[in-house]
Amino acid sequence: MAMMRAPVRFLAALMLLLVVAFAVPAQAQQPTSVNPQAQSVKEQELLKELKKIQGRGTLPDARSEVIEQPAGRDWRQFHQVTLRWIGAIAILGMLALLVVFYLVRGMVRIEGGRSGRTLVRFNAFERFVHWMTASCFVILALSGLNVTFGKELLLPLMGADAFANWSQWAKYMHNYLSFPFTLGVVLMFLMWIAWNFPSAVDFRWLKEGGGIIGNAHPPARRFNAGQKMIYWVVVLGGGAAAVTGYLLMFPFYATPFYTTDVAGMQLAQMVHAIVGVVFIAVMLAHIYIGTIGMQGAFEAMGKGEVDVNWAQQHHSLWLEKEAGKGHVRGGGVAPAE
Amino acid sequence: MLIKKSERQVRRGALAAALASQTSGSIDRRTFLRRSGLAAGGLAALGALPLGGVRKAEAAGTGPAPAKGIIRQNICTHCSVGCTVLAEVENGVWVGQEPGWDSPISRGSHCAKGAATREIAHGERRLKYPLKLVGGKWQRISWDTAINEIGDKLLEVREKAGPDSVYWLGSAKFTNEAAYLNRKFAAFWGTNNSDHQARICHSTTVAGVANTWGYGAMTNSYNDIRNTKTIFFLGGNPAEAHPVSLQHILEGKELNRANFIVADPRLTRTAAHATEYVRLRNGTDIPVIWGMLWHIFKNGWEDKQFIAQRVYGMDDIRKEVEKWTPEEVERVSGVPGAQLERVAKMFATERPSCLIWAMGQTQHSMGTATVRASCVLLLATGNVGNFGAGANIFRGHTNVQGATDLGLDIVTLPLYYGLAEGAWRHWCRVWEVDYAWMESRFATYTGADGKPVKMMNTPGIPSTRWFDATLLPKDQVSQPDNVKVMFVMGHGGNTVTRMPEAAKGIEKLELLVVVDPVPTTWAVLSERKDGIYLLPSATSYEMAGSRTASNRSIQWGEQIIAPIFEAKNDLEIMYRLATKLGFADRMFKNIKVENNLPVAEDILREINRGGWSTGYCGQSPERLKLHMANQKDFDVVTLKAADGPCKGETYGLPWPCWGTPEFKHPGTHTLYNTNVPVREGGGTFRARFGVERVVKTKAMVDGREVEQEVRHNLLAEGSYSRGSDIQDGYPEFTYGVLKKLGWDSELSEAERATIERIGGANPDAISWATDLSGGIQRVVIGHGCAPYGNGKARAVAFGLPDAIPVHREPIYSPRPDLVAKYPTLPNARQFRVPNVGFDVQKAAVEKGLAKEFPLILSSGRLVEYEGGGEETRSNRWLAELQQDMFIEINPADAAERGIKDGGWVWVFGPADTRPKAKMRALVTERVGKGVTWSPFHFAGWFQGVDQRGKYPLGADPVVLGESVNTLTTYGYDPVTGMQEPKATLCQVRAA
Amino acid sequence: MARMKFLCDADRCIECNACVTACKNEHDVPWGINRRRVVTINDGRPGERSVSMACMHCTDAPCAAVCPVNCFYTTADGVVLHSKDLCIGCGYCFYACPFGAPQYPRVGNFGSRGKMDKCTYCAGGPEPDLTPAEYGKRDNGQFTGYGSNRLAEGKLPLCAEMCSTKSLLAGDGEIIAQIYKERVVRRGYTSGAWGWQTAYRETIAS
Repeated sequence: MAMMRAPVRFLAALMLLLVVAFAVPAQAQQPTSVNPQAQSVKEQELLKELKKIQGRGTLPDARSEVIEQPAGRDWRQFHQVTLRWIGAIAILGMLALLVVFYLVRGMVRIEGGRSGRTLVRFNAFERFVHWMTASCFVILALSGLNVTFGKELLLPLMGADAFANWSQWAKYMHNYLSFPFTLGVVLMFLMWIAWNFPSAVDFRWLKEGGGIIGNAHPPARRFNAGQKMIYWVVVLGGGAAAVTGYLLMFPFYATPFYTTDVAGMQLAQMVHAIVGVVFIAVMLAHIYIGTIGMQGAFEAMGKGEVDVNWAQQHHSLWLEKEAGKGHVRGGGVAPAE
Repeated sequence: MLIKKSERQVRRGALAAALASQTSGSIDRRTFLRRSGLAAGGLAALGALPLGGVRKAEAAGTGPAPAKGIIRQNICTHCSVGCTVLAEVENGVWVGQEPGWDSPISRGSHCAKGAATREIAHGERRLKYPLKLVGGKWQRISWDTAINEIGDKLLEVREKAGPDSVYWLGSAKFTNEAAYLNRKFAAFWGTNNSDHQARICHSTTVAGVANTWGYGAMTNSYNDIRNTKTIFFLGGNPAEAHPVSLQHILEGKELNRANFIVADPRLTRTAAHATEYVRLRNGTDIPVIWGMLWHIFKNGWEDKQFIAQRVYGMDDIRKEVEKWTPEEVERVSGVPGAQLERVAKMFATERPSCLIWAMGQTQHSMGTATVRASCVLLLATGNVGNFGAGANIFRGHTNVQGATDLGLDIVTLPLYYGLAEGAWRHWCRVWEVDYAWMESRFATYTGADGKPVKMMNTPGIPSTRWFDATLLPKDQVSQPDNVKVMFVMGHGGNTVTRMPEAAKGIEKLELLVVVDPVPTTWAVLSERKDGIYLLPSATSYEMAGSRTASNRSIQWGEQIIAPIFEAKNDLEIMYRLATKLGFADRMFKNIKVENNLPVAEDILREINRGGWSTGYCGQSPERLKLHMANQKDFDVVTLKAADGPCKGETYGLPWPCWGTPEFKHPGTHTLYNTNVPVREGGGTFRARFGVERVVKTKAMVDGREVEQEVRHNLLAEGSYSRGSDIQDGYPEFTYGVLKKLGWDSELSEAERATIERIGGANPDAISWATDLSGGIQRVVIGHGCAPYGNGKARAVAFGLPDAIPVHREPIYSPRPDLVAKYPTLPNARQFRVPNVGFDVQKAAVEKGLAKEFPLILSSGRLVEYEGGGEETRSNRWLAELQQDMFIEINPADAAERGIKDGGWVWVFGPADTRPKAKMRALVTERVGKGVTWSPFHFAGWFQGVDQRGKYPLGADPVVLGESVNTLTTYGYDPVTGMQEPKATLCQVRAA
Repeated sequence: MARMKFLCDADRCIECNACVTACKNEHDVPWGINRRRVVTINDGRPGERSVSMACMHCTDAPCAAVCPVNCFYTTADGVVLHSKDLCIGCGYCFYACPFGAPQYPRVGNFGSRGKMDKCTYCAGGPEPDLTPAEYGKRDNGQFTGYGSNRLAEGKLPLCAEMCSTKSLLAGDGEIIAQIYKERVVRRGYTSGAWGWQTAYRETIAS
């Protein structure tokens, strides 16, 4: 019915315009005869038609001109229910998966034991960047989780004041550490981008389960497909978390590139939260592999040097290349066989 | 549930928490709320709360929390509604505001300004001590130095150029006492160059209305609009200018399902609530009114009996109205005939109807004629002199009505006595000064024609023209010399049109003194480097005294706090200066002065002793204070006290309040209301214009042309106020009339003696207005008669330039095609200066300015600011709400010019000085295509230059902006010198 | 038990902003924090309506639900308050609030949010009633505490008490709803009790 009416109304308006245009020389454009009372806007109708009711105010802050936006209800549902499920499933699920995997597979050992010869895998700067980012990440993750789960898990234990205190510090840390974290992500992106483009080798690696499932050890360059995935999770996820995080952090600075109205803030928070929990879940796997999941892996980021046998096992193509450049140290040039 | 911190600490342990919930600390509060009638009352509480979901503060009487401090009562200064301000004062500091529930006018309410008024009183950005501009720098000086230096300079100018070279510009924010004293001061100084804001807001109303039916004021009251069936707004936007009045208007609209018609070039916040909105072109009010009357006369909707009994000259109006056919009205104003017929019918037939206006009608070069046309519309439909009807003229400041009444004006002495010798003699008797001495204070001017003119009896220069009187060649100013000193008390410098010329005017002055709580635009507008004094005056809240609201109710305000910093009471400043100038002894002869501060109550008593003509004689300070203390007894519709010590009286004893205070006249709620006995506040139209009018006409008798005299009766016919002993029209009462009627025997011996003493050789001429005993008023009111007579209202105001109002195009008309048919009046010398409006209008048409400046520019009010705005823009709570000067422009006009909502634009004015101003664009359909509108409160930027640095340190307002009056143009009403900011031209370009 | 609510009768509201400055005055709220504001819908067009909006003190308040530190509480009068001691300024309540009520002072660290501030229904905060601690400090640009506690003094929020046209009503929800219904019947028109559906899941007289 309303759709049927629209053209009629348009025609009528057009005719009125024409009539008025001929009749009134002074102010032709606006009809003069109106009953403002009868035409008054109605809240319920506006809410049916629009997601939010917005008007004109005199304050310079445009957000103050939105007077009603019931969408907060959906966001509340997301934050209070959906997000918790996503977070719980992602993090607890990953933990469970890792536990099961550990029980089944145990630690992946260096086949043939250590050779005693090592080669540099990550230089000091790379390790510094990694650990800076990683330590920031741990604190960001914990303080972030606190926002979503803290009041259920910690508040009853700590009491309101202590929890608020901790949360306040957690918020400060979350805000401040976002800067070194973001810097770390950017540096990692630049530092390692060269080795992280997908290649044909990666398909084989993936097809063979990366040597983690089963006993095959598909060849890999400096970073295997799994590590590349971590890399891209860090770069893209970190980037998304950073962008959305800063949107949430600086609500007062609207720039020409984005507008931080409430809907935008809600969206930013949703992206930030989902990226956050997924990120955490992936990082749990990363930490597992880097520590108890694989013998010799931690040394790569710890000392920066790895055993040649470890390299042979996991990054054979990289080892060949490095060996060719004479970067293997200790024992002699050839593998000890 | 967590309620208070104390509980939260307890709740740390689970056990403790369980216990805590048993003994919730909120019980006290709950109990308390129940006790205060909110929680338990339920629907039963509705009786006490019929109109707002609020409960009175007294309900807290049973509660545990004592009031914070002393409560003091004053009146909000920001418009003429007269809202009660209740201030909580602790140790001399104003710490809070409470709603003044008991006020029948405001019933606890405020607008943004009233609710933020505490900040104005202790605003950090006020002037803190006297300052003097020396070499472009503000220098702190003492009050004594200031008064001495200023006084010496004044005396020097007086010696050199005569008393008329000093212009005393007063304020509508004065109390009645200060306004009166300021006018008296000018009289003792010896000039009639004494004016205030009424010049630029409602001077044309006062002239137009007083010339129609006797008094220049709102006929009814804000509260009385609750009785109205058809409310017609023509030239007013009270939703922004008088917000609390809307409480009465909207409630009246709801209760009566009243018609709510708004005719305005803008769809204002008032129009948003209209049942009928009429968009007219700026400055075409007369065509619209005549267009309505065309329908009314054609259909016979006029009130024939009312016209026959109480109106003079309606037949002449018919002839003028006949010219305004629906086609011509639409051609000129843009209002379609069918709509106007509907509006006319409602207004004439769904009565009582009232007409509400403010500066939309008045601020035009044809302002007086417009107001007169409005009066004629009311008269034709019989809508004056009754409840729910009338001319509801909304004025702009707390006391602009009072200041006007008290003669802070260039054409009259206090209370409309005029400037004739009789008026001066009356006031000299009241002041107990020698008339000859008073005469000696004034100059005599001999103009080009060689005839000496006594300046004492000559109207002064309007405040709109002060800079013309400064800048024009001496021979074009009809007084001994140019204006050389401006002494400005409480009056903005950006409220008068043609600001670029005002800036030049300031530069040419020999001395500028600004007495104000804030520096005002005067301090920064010009390039002057010396010769400006800024003297900090107290705000209205730091001064006791009475204020007259628009409805003529007079309210006494207490001093809330002592003047802060080095600010001083207006009365004290005037006293100190009078002392320096040497006439304090004479001026304060009957006024007690304590510690340099004249006692306000004593001044009011002096006003009472002389205020017979307007009925300012009965409102003694004691009676007014009694009303303030018993506000709760007054009814919200009738304004009458149902009970208590003021029983039967109308709130604030609205003038006229006849006789002496002891006579206990209750005040007059609605003027000219014949349904009420005069003793109880009724009245008739004032017989102000004589008993009859003799018109000489030429007629052909027996083929010869002979001159005939036609006599028109100007007295009412068969109409009289209830209970009147004279049941027909009658002239004003004098001692002589009393004798003829034999009523003089009712005078007491003392009264008779006073009359005889004043009258000297001719006591019979002593009238109700000059009888200082009040006896004549007492006696005639005893006979049910109005002291001022029972006359007809004048539809034809003979003596005015347009006796029958005719439409005249604005000086800068957007319709040059209409100027030939509807030109402005010829040039003339008015109020000592030339008015060359005709030449300016003609030149504008010849130069085709309407093409170059195709947009109509009009100005108006924002709810957050007031007047020139310096005070309100210095208030951080208000300033936050309006941070930028703007111009409203229609989306179509904006799109043509590539202007975005909120973007910066340059606005150009058509005056010869080619002014420009930079502001933000507000793209809105409020204004029609081809129309723009700007608020007039801004200043501190001038033609794109930010002048913040020129303010005294720390006294710059929070918000600055271009003043619209930089752009507004020439155009002056011939009757009052009113300026024309409501209809001029401009061009807008994106900046 | 009284359940306190706000009701803005838009058919009475004239955008006079008295509610806004009354709030500033009563609590000495600094520049940039707007516990209450007035917005005009359909500005300049026939049918334009203005609405005064602040915290509506919702039933099952979303701000309280999403607060990560549970700093909100509802008083026995149904007023939704919060503790600035507990608030960490995360901004979540602002995302959840349908009425844009939460306000944040800019604080030093990169202009990010300080502790949230909002309309208290003139009911103070968790500190003991009518104490300086409850009111907070206002010297040298500080803004702590919650402002006045008019409810404890037996008074209602000043914004509603000072409303120029009695458009903004505050008090027991049942009473103000009744007043509003009577008004609507008497005058014969309504644009709705703005926000009631969203805040209280209630529609009256529309």
